[in-house]
Amino acid sequence: MEISTTDIKEKIIASLNIQDITAGQIADDAPLFGAGGLGLDSIDALELVVMLEKNFGIVIKDMEEGRPAFQSVATLAAFVNAKRSV
Amino acid sequence: MSARFPVITGLGIVTAAGCGVDEVWAAITSGTSGLKPLSLFQSPRYGQMLVGEIQHDLSELGAPLRASRSDKLGWLAAREAVQSSKINLQNCADRAGIVLGCSVGGSYDSEHFLTSLIKQGKIRARPTRFHECHSAVDLIANDFGLFGPGMTIATACSSGALAIATAAELIMAGEADVMLAGGADSLSLMTWGGFNALLLTDAAGCRPFDATRSGMTLGEGAAMLVIESEESAQKRGATILARLVGWGASCDAHHATAPHPEGAGALAAMQSALRRANLDAAAIDYVNAHGTGTRDNDLAEAKALKKLFGATVPPFSSTKRFFGHALAASGAIEAVLCVEALRRQELPPNPGFATPDAAIGLEPVTALRPSALTNVMSNSLGFGGNNAALIFSKPETAPRTRAPKPTPVVVAGLGVIGPGAVGSREIEPPLPPGKVFVHNCGPLADATTLTPNQRRRFSRLIQMALLTARRSHAPDPAQRVAVAIGTGMGCLDTAALFIENMIAKDEREPMPAQFPNSVHNAAAAQVAIDQGAHGMNSAPTCGDISFECALWQGISQLTIGEADCALTGAVDELNKYILGIGQRWGTWNEKIRPGEGAMVASLVRAENSATPLARVTAVRLGRWRKPFDSEREAGWIAAAVDLKSVAVILSGAGGWPELEEKYAFVAAALAARAGRPLEHQTYKQHCGEFHSASAFGFSVAVELARTRRQGVLLYTLSPRGGKALCCVQP
Repeated sequence: MEISTTDIKEKIIASLNIQDITAGQIADDAPLFGAGGLGLDSIDALELVVMLEKNFGIVIKDMEEGRPAFQSVATLAAFVNAKRSV
Repeated sequence: MSARFPVITGLGIVTAAGCGVDEVWAAITSGTSGLKPLSLFQSPRYGQMLVGEIQHDLSELGAPLRASRSDKLGWLAAREAVQSSKINLQNCADRAGIVLGCSVGGSYDSEHFLTSLIKQGKIRARPTRFHECHSAVDLIANDFGLFGPGMTIATACSSGALAIATAAELIMAGEADVMLAGGADSLSLMTWGGFNALLLTDAAGCRPFDATRSGMTLGEGAAMLVIESEESAQKRGATILARLVGWGASCDAHHATAPHPEGAGALAAMQSALRRANLDAAAIDYVNAHGTGTRDNDLAEAKALKKLFGATVPPFSSTKRFFGHALAASGAIEAVLCVEALRRQELPPNPGFATPDAAIGLEPVTALRPSALTNVMSNSLGFGGNNAALIFSKPETAPRTRAPKPTPVVVAGLGVIGPGAVGSREIEPPLPPGKVFVHNCGPLADATTLTPNQRRRFSRLIQMALLTARRSHAPDPAQRVAVAIGTGMGCLDTAALFIENMIAKDEREPMPAQFPNSVHNAAAAQVAIDQGAHGMNSAPTCGDISFECALWQGISQLTIGEADCALTGAVDELNKYILGIGQRWGTWNEKIRPGEGAMVASLVRAENSATPLARVTAVRLGRWRKPFDSEREAGWIAAAVDLKSVAVILSGAGGWPELEEKYAFVAAALAARAGRPLEHQTYKQHCGEFHSASAFGFSVAVELARTRRQGVLLYTLSPRGGKALCCVQP
């Protein structure tokens, strides 16, 4: 079954303990890191690595590998779906 | 004054590459790395990693049995350092002290408690006896008979270097003639899991400065230096191995784990050390780099080296592939190697380096080679952006270190969370259920002013530190700000959460974000980021005198002119393990209640504050002797404080009855000396029992001095031997 961007948003909120924002307030293509989006940082990226392993069984051993996937909710969902279909 | 220059007269070292200076140097000469697969504990997930583990039986080497693994490592290094210096410490016990960098502390041992609890549901509290970072200082000071200042510093990977810098400062300030200084950290599940969870490790061993480097290798060990005033060394005819001529510290105030990308903090620490040493960068003949082997650290450090030295970067190397990154011990281990390099006139190599990295644009020393060395530098860069640099010179060089200028210091602002209200709290599972009376500070009213990231990510302890610092001080970009925030137990809740999860899930699904928040210097480092404070950043963890140690470090940054403002304080939080283990040991009752709180005072030089709250006229650190002698204590106090200016003696009480009695006797002895009654007040009945309670006591002292226009003496005893005083005047 396809993982939706809403699924991804809910997992992000839960794994990063985000308190003031709901899934509906996150745009699919908003940047996850740095200004103008969720404002996450490199430590959050590591938590997202754990989140991917825990929920989808996807193991990332090198942050460089994860970098293109961690641009936005949309890229992350696409990455998860591509990995799951392999 | 020249007699107070610090010199090195003894060295001790324990690493995976060898135990003892000669053994370690033999490994360096032959190029033999001590990295091997892990055998100390099971690691289901990361077991294939290389590690710098000491595989000797530490007890067979002579280490005491009743101690944590970190304590034993520190003790072994101390024994070698003292023996090699040929000093008779009995001749100078009151003028001899210890500063130790220790960040893991007894975690390796207390993890056995957690493993039994989680896997078997059994409480085995004994391994937690040596949990606290100051346990090694208490052990070494008691065994070797050191009654001068005793301090533990937990600033992660720069702890050992900052400890050496602080010891040198204590000698220059005349607080001691001889100091043991260094660092000790053992391997532990926490740091093992933590660095692996942060994806900062290289399974095949670190390759510092190499183009293909992909991470660090964790290690363990200890190193100690005997540092003396030149006068003390000359008087006893000691062989001087080297001079410690310069030391400096800084904070990136950038990020919890990543270094400033341009190496700004590393550069600032090196510049500060050069200023102190009155040396130009061109005088440095070798740099022992921090060089962990992570992509970011090595690049940032190389940028800092290029900025400082320009086109002529001196020979440099990272020696971490020999023994791994021994965290709080690493700065001390590398200081020992720098002194040996000077003594032998040889450059230690950088194993692991093969392919130059164009982005770094520098190549380290690749093979041991002879070289004429006069001045050498050692860098230590840590989590939280805490940096320290040390400069050693050949003994024949002329003394040149800038001396501190004693400066009147005042409290310009103060933030306090406490005293807690009395209530009760249930002990949380997996500990056995029970109810404990506590002093709880309740919800943090101004927590809403924190940023969303600060609120979602930081524990109560870090939030308390952030809020009290903000209440004490408004950030001012024109000021150079140092931060020294002590803690007794540190972020124990976060550390426990991280380790419990590792144990329960056999290292699956680690919690990378919790690890950097679990280190003892997390509060000080986050305050630095929040305040833009780029000066020295320290987290003394010295039990009940953690606050006074922070106060000493903060004031010293003002007197040496490396800061315009020092945010000094201490913080501790209520925690299920403090409640549960204290209950098990019968510590808590209706009178002795665990508490929590935070206090940060903004200290400035007197000329820079028009409306100060109070003056701080004395701070002194030491250790009390057994049997306790109140006359001796009164003499120790009277040597630092003019009793004529003191009206109130303020001490902790409502704590252990044996301390209460000691305080009362000392107060009486002081009154006898003063020839008039002195008012004796206590504060722990208001705030409860916690290691940094004397920080709350300090806020009471400031308030008394301010409102009653009278001098207040704050006197603190730690049950394990530490003592401190500070004097607050209107």
